[in-house]
Amino acid sequence: MVRCPVAFRRGHLEFELGALPPPDTMKSIPLHRLFPISSVIVCLFALLGATGCKKHRPPPREQGVAIVVPTQRATWIRNFNPFFESQARWPATAGIYEPLIIFNRSTGQFIPWLATAWRFEENNLKLILTIRKGVRFADGAELTPEDVIYTFELMHQKRALDQFAVWSHVKAVSLKDEEVVFEFNRPFTTPGLFIIGRQPIVAAHIWKKVADPVKFSDPHPVGTGPFNQVLKFQSQVYEVGANPDYWQEGKPGLKKLRIPAFGGNEAMALAIIRGEIDWSAAFIPSIDRVFVEKDPEHRGYYFPSLEGTVMLYANTQRAPYSDVRVRKAISHALNRERIVRIAMQGYTRPANATGFSDLYKHFFDPKVLEEEGDFTEYDVSKANALFDAAGLSRDEDGIRRMPDGSELEINLNCVVGWSDWIIAAQIMVADLREVGLDVTLRTYAFGAWFQKLQLGDFDLSMSWSDGSATPWSFYQRQMSKDTLRPLGEPAENNWQRFRSEEAEKLLEQFASTVDDLEQKKIASELQRIFVREAPAIPLFPGPTWGEYNTKYVEGLPSEADPYAPLAPYKAPGQLLSMIELRPSGTGADSENRGKAPIQKGGERSFGNKRMKP
Amino acid sequence: MKFLIRRLGFYLLAAWVSLTLNFFIPRLAPGDPASALQATFQGKLDPAALEAMKVAFGLTDAPLYEQYLTYAWNLLHGDLGISIAHFPAPVTEVIGEALGWTLFLAGISVVISFVLGTFLGIVSAWRRGGILDSIAPASFIFLGAFPYFWLAMLLLFVFGFLGGWFPLRHAHSDQLEIEFSLTFALDALTHAFLPALSIVLASLGGWLLSMRNTMIGILSEEYVTMAQAKGLSNLRVMLNYAARNALLPNITGFGMALGFVLSGSLLTEIVFSYPGQGYLLYEAVKSMDYPLMQGLFLAITVAVLAANWCVDVAYVFLDPRTRR
Repeated sequence: MVRCPVAFRRGHLEFELGALPPPDTMKSIPLHRLFPISSVIVCLFALLGATGCKKHRPPPREQGVAIVVPTQRATWIRNFNPFFESQARWPATAGIYEPLIIFNRSTGQFIPWLATAWRFEENNLKLILTIRKGVRFADGAELTPEDVIYTFELMHQKRALDQFAVWSHVKAVSLKDEEVVFEFNRPFTTPGLFIIGRQPIVAAHIWKKVADPVKFSDPHPVGTGPFNQVLKFQSQVYEVGANPDYWQEGKPGLKKLRIPAFGGNEAMALAIIRGEIDWSAAFIPSIDRVFVEKDPEHRGYYFPSLEGTVMLYANTQRAPYSDVRVRKAISHALNRERIVRIAMQGYTRPANATGFSDLYKHFFDPKVLEEEGDFTEYDVSKANALFDAAGLSRDEDGIRRMPDGSELEINLNCVVGWSDWIIAAQIMVADLREVGLDVTLRTYAFGAWFQKLQLGDFDLSMSWSDGSATPWSFYQRQMSKDTLRPLGEPAENNWQRFRSEEAEKLLEQFASTVDDLEQKKIASELQRIFVREAPAIPLFPGPTWGEYNTKYVEGLPSEADPYAPLAPYKAPGQLLSMIELRPSGTGADSENRGKAPIQKGGERSFGNKRMKP
Repeated sequence: MKFLIRRLGFYLLAAWVSLTLNFFIPRLAPGDPASALQATFQGKLDPAALEAMKVAFGLTDAPLYEQYLTYAWNLLHGDLGISIAHFPAPVTEVIGEALGWTLFLAGISVVISFVLGTFLGIVSAWRRGGILDSIAPASFIFLGAFPYFWLAMLLLFVFGFLGGWFPLRHAHSDQLEIEFSLTFALDALTHAFLPALSIVLASLGGWLLSMRNTMIGILSEEYVTMAQAKGLSNLRVMLNYAARNALLPNITGFGMALGFVLSGSLLTEIVFSYPGQGYLLYEAVKSMDYPLMQGLFLAITVAVLAANWCVDVAYVFLDPRTRR
C-alpha cells in the first residue's frame, strides 16, 4: 500500500511557496492538455469495473481434474528436484517421483512401492530390497536396481541431497543378485526402513548428465509417478498430468491435478468455503459451521493427530528445572483441556504423559500410565505439593522462591505470529501464576526464538517434537546422548538437554530387532522412563489438516474411511490417496486403498511377511 | 543539465550507502539462514547434510568484511546469488517472476490514485465549501484511515465472495495462458480491479488532501488574482496558474510512492493472493533468505532512486528556478 506522508508534504509546501516567481515568467506547459490523459485513465478504471460487473464465476470444471491446495505459498518457482522435499513443488517427491516404501501414517503399515519386498540379514546389519520390475520412467526407460543405487550414491557424494540423514546410518549400498543391499553402521531396523524407504528414486541415465544436482531445479522431471507430466507452469498455478503407462492397474483415476498458489490463509479459506477446491490442507476456524454445513453431502474434513506432539520444554541443565519434581509440578499445573479447546479450537486432544501422538498408537501402552502415574493430569494440589517438596516455597506475596530464598523469574518463550501457540502459552502463563510461579511470556521472531532454543538459552520454551514412523526417533530425540549437545552449542533436537543411559540401551535394542512384539515391549519400557523422568512436558499432539469436497472428484480418505492420512502435504503418504482420486460417481475400488498396490498384469506384493502390522 | 548531473552523482553515492546497509541490516537481525533452514526440516537433517547445504547456499562463517567484499564483487557482475527459500532458483529469476505483476498492479493503482486524488484536490480547492469539497476529502481520509488489511478483506468478502462479481484471487484465470489477446487482457483487468480499488481507496485521501490544501494557499496568491483580472478562463487559471504550482509537493510524493511500488503491496498480495514482490519479501524475511532479501532491497533501492531522479527531471520542467 502506498500512503503519502501529508505532514511532510505540507512542510515542503511552505518552503516552496514563499519563493514562487510570478507565473507569467514561466514557459508554461499547459496543464489542461493533460486533461484528456487523466480522463482516459479514469474511463479505463470505470471500464475495468464494468467488465467485472457481470457475475464472475469460475469457468466450468473439466472432467477428470482435481484442484489441490497442499501448501500455502504466494508464487510458484519451477523446482521439481526430488531431493529437496521442502523446497521443491509438492508432487516432486511423491507424485512425479516415487519412493521405495511408503509408511502409511494412518494404519502404521509399511506399503511396498518401488521396492516389492525387504528383509534384514546378518543380525539386522543389512537391509535387502527387491526392486519392482516393469516400472518405467517418463522417457520410457525401465527402472532398475542400478537407479536405486545411483540415487543413494549421489546422496553420499553430495551430502546436501541427503535430507533424511540416510548416510549417517548407512555404510555402503551395493547390488547383489538383482537386489539392493544397504549395510548399516549398527543394527537399524524399522527406523532405517522408514528413512530409506521414503527416498524418491531418480533415473541414473538422466541425473548423470546433471552438472550440479544440488543446484539443479529439474524443470522437466523424468519420474515414475502417477502424475509425472508437468503440463503447465505459471507463477500462480501449475498442472501435472497423469502418467499414461503407470505401473499400477487402473491408476491414477484422474487426468490431471491443478495446484493454485495462495499467499494468505484468508483467500485460501474463501476459495475452499466456496467449494472451488477439492482437496486442501487449511486451518479453518469453526469448520463444521463455515465449511461442512454449506454442503454436508459432499464436504468433510479429517484432522487426525498424526504429527509429533507439541511440547513445553524445560531446560534440564538449569535449576530448578533439573529437578524432575519441578518439571512434573509445572505439568500438573497446566489445564490442557482448556488449552486444546481455546488455542487449538478443539481440533486435537490433550497429550498424555508418554508424549505419543496417534502416530505411535500401535506402540502406546496404557499400563505405563496406570503404574507410573500420568504427570499430564491437571491437578493443582499435586502441583503445589510437588513444588513444596522440591523446596520452592511461597514467600509472603505467594510467589515461589528458589530453595536458597533467591527470586525465581521464569521466561516462557514462544514465536511471534504463531497465534495458536501464543494463545496456548498465555493460558499456561496464567495457570503457572496460579500455583505461585513468576512466569513471563516472551515472544521472539522465529529466528531468535529458534536460536535460543538450539543453544539452550531458555527456561521454558514451546516447540515441536519428532513425528516419524517409530517411537525410536521420537525418544532418541528426547533422551539420548546421540542428540545431546552441551549448552551453548546448537542442538538439532533434545533442546532440553536430557539423557538417560537406560533409555539409550533400550533404543539400541529397539533398532536391533525386527520382531514387532519385541519392539512393543521395548517401547513400553521407553515410555516408562519418559513418564518417570519427564524430560519434556507434552501439551497436545499436533493435528494434520485435510479437507475434501467430493462434488467433482472422490476417493480421498475420510474420518469414516481412514485408509491413509487425508493431509495432502505429508510426503510420501500423499501418494496413497493421490492415485485413488477419480471423478465423482464413477464407482470405487474401496478394498485395496491404502494397501500394497497391484501391478499391471502382476501380483500384489506383500512387502515383508515377517513384519506384520 | 549541471543540476541533473550533480543529482546523479548524489544518487550514486546514495545507492552505494543503501546497498551496504542492505548487506548489513539482515545480518544484524537475530537468527541466521542455517538455523531457519534447519527449522524447516524440524531437526531431521543430518549435521553433515546441513554443512553441505550451507556450502551450496554460499553461507560461510567468513568474517563479515570478506563476505561484504564478495557480495559487492558479485553485485558488480549482476550476480545476486541463489535464493534459499526458493532454492535452487537464482534470485534474479525469483524476482523476475513477480516483478511484472507488481509493476502492473501497484503501478496502475498508484498512478490512478495520484491522478484522481490530485484532480479531486484541485476541484475541491477551486470550489471550496462546495458539495465535492465537503464530502470528498472527509470520506476519503476516513476510508484511508481504516486498517488497510480490513478494508481489503471487506472488499474481497463483499464484492468477491458474497456478490461474486469479481474473482477471489490471482492475476488471471488459472485456465488461461499468458498471451497478448483481448480475452487475456480483460481477464487480467478483472482480476486487478478489486486489489487496485483497495489501494486507490486507501491512498486517494492523502493525495486529495495535500493537493487541496496547497491549492488553497496558492489561490490566495496575488498572481492568481492577477490572472483572473486579466480575464483568463477559469479552467486556465485553475490548472495553469494555481494547480501547476501546487503540484510540486505532490510530485515529490509521487516519486517516492512510485519507488515504493516495488517494495510491493504486501497486504494486497496476501489478501487477494496476487503474485508479486511484497509477499516474496515477507517470505524472504521469514526464512532469513539473505540473498533474496538483498536482491529485493536492491530492486527497491534502485526504484526509489530512479523515481526520485525522474522527479528531479520533472522539476526542471515544472519549476524554472531549478534550471539555473
